[in-house]
Amino acid sequence: MNQGTVTALSPKQAVTTSSEDELEQALIAAASNGNKAAYQQLYQRYVGQVYALALRLTGDVSHAEDAAQETFIQLWQSLASFSGDAKFSTWLHRVTANVTVSHMRKQKNWLQRTFGLESANEADLVAPLPTDDNPLEQYIQRLPERARLVFVLHAIEGYRHEEVAEMTQMAVGSSKAQLHRAKQLLKEWMSHD
Amino acid sequence: MTNHEFEQQLQRQIDALPRQQQPKRDLWRGIEHALAESPQQTKAAASPLRWLATAASVCLIAVLGWFGSNHYIEQRAQQLALAQSQQFIAAMSDNHQLQKDSLLVALKGKPAFTDNWQQQLDELEDAANAIKEALEHDPRNPTLLKMLQSVYQQQLQLIERVHAPKLIHI
Repeated sequence: MNQGTVTALSPKQAVTTSSEDELEQALIAAASNGNKAAYQQLYQRYVGQVYALALRLTGDVSHAEDAAQETFIQLWQSLASFSGDAKFSTWLHRVTANVTVSHMRKQKNWLQRTFGLESANEADLVAPLPTDDNPLEQYIQRLPERARLVFVLHAIEGYRHEEVAEMTQMAVGSSKAQLHRAKQLLKEWMSHD
Repeated sequence: MTNHEFEQQLQRQIDALPRQQQPKRDLWRGIEHALAESPQQTKAAASPLRWLATAASVCLIAVLGWFGSNHYIEQRAQQLALAQSQQFIAAMSDNHQLQKDSLLVALKGKPAFTDNWQQQLDELEDAANAIKEALEHDPRNPTLLKMLQSVYQQQLQLIERVHAPKLIHI
């Protein structure tokens, strides 16, 4: 990821952050050993981030809820494989993106196979998101699915095009083209404001 | 608007986007239920299994290469497609079970409109099992898949419907 903000911490904040990190490490270790109460605390810490990313990627409340649940279920099963080399939040973020994209792919396949929709456009089948104060949030939901995925993962979440291509199973060139497409549409919509 | 102005404005709006958002529904209950049925990998157990799986994959690729016949590869592709369909049915059933259990937990203790709704639910469950049995022989049959999806939806609608009239007065 190429995005990151370094914030200067006061000594008091640094102490708090350090003990917070230790608490998090303890929660991860306990959850890895099957402690569900510890895992619930990890869930409470991160559900906001997981759900926000899933919602932005899917553009649909119901799918985002399903993807968030699936993320935490898969995470529980694979917690032992977390090596601790990267930050837990970074790892979780990647798991969320992968699970959500995979969930969207399964949904699309299901619609195509079951109802014979060759070019199933889920945007036509789901309820729109509630209105939001930030106009960009609304514009993102209006983007075509592939353009939205690339824009959210690259421009907002900071993944490189190579990483986006791997997650979404598209070519690196397609990822760049979809970003260009997304920005063109956003520019057009923002110009009309 | 110039490109430069657009990029600046876009970046400002991206920076202002919230990084967190709480779901309106309690997702933990469904997760907790799934965890009870999900075995957790342990570090000690995961490693040898992964080696075994890798070794098995290497052997499979070697065997496929050795046979090299179109017939064999075609047969294998069909088997894989079949396995994929079976996985999909299993995932759909798991997802339905999760939704159903969450709903039942949420409505536990709430008055029901009819007395025999449990019986109706069981009948629908029997129907779903019969369809799943048929799908075991023909897992890619779109009509059966549609029927299973429909029975699952009917179950959820039944649970909601029998509890809804009383809930309105609460």
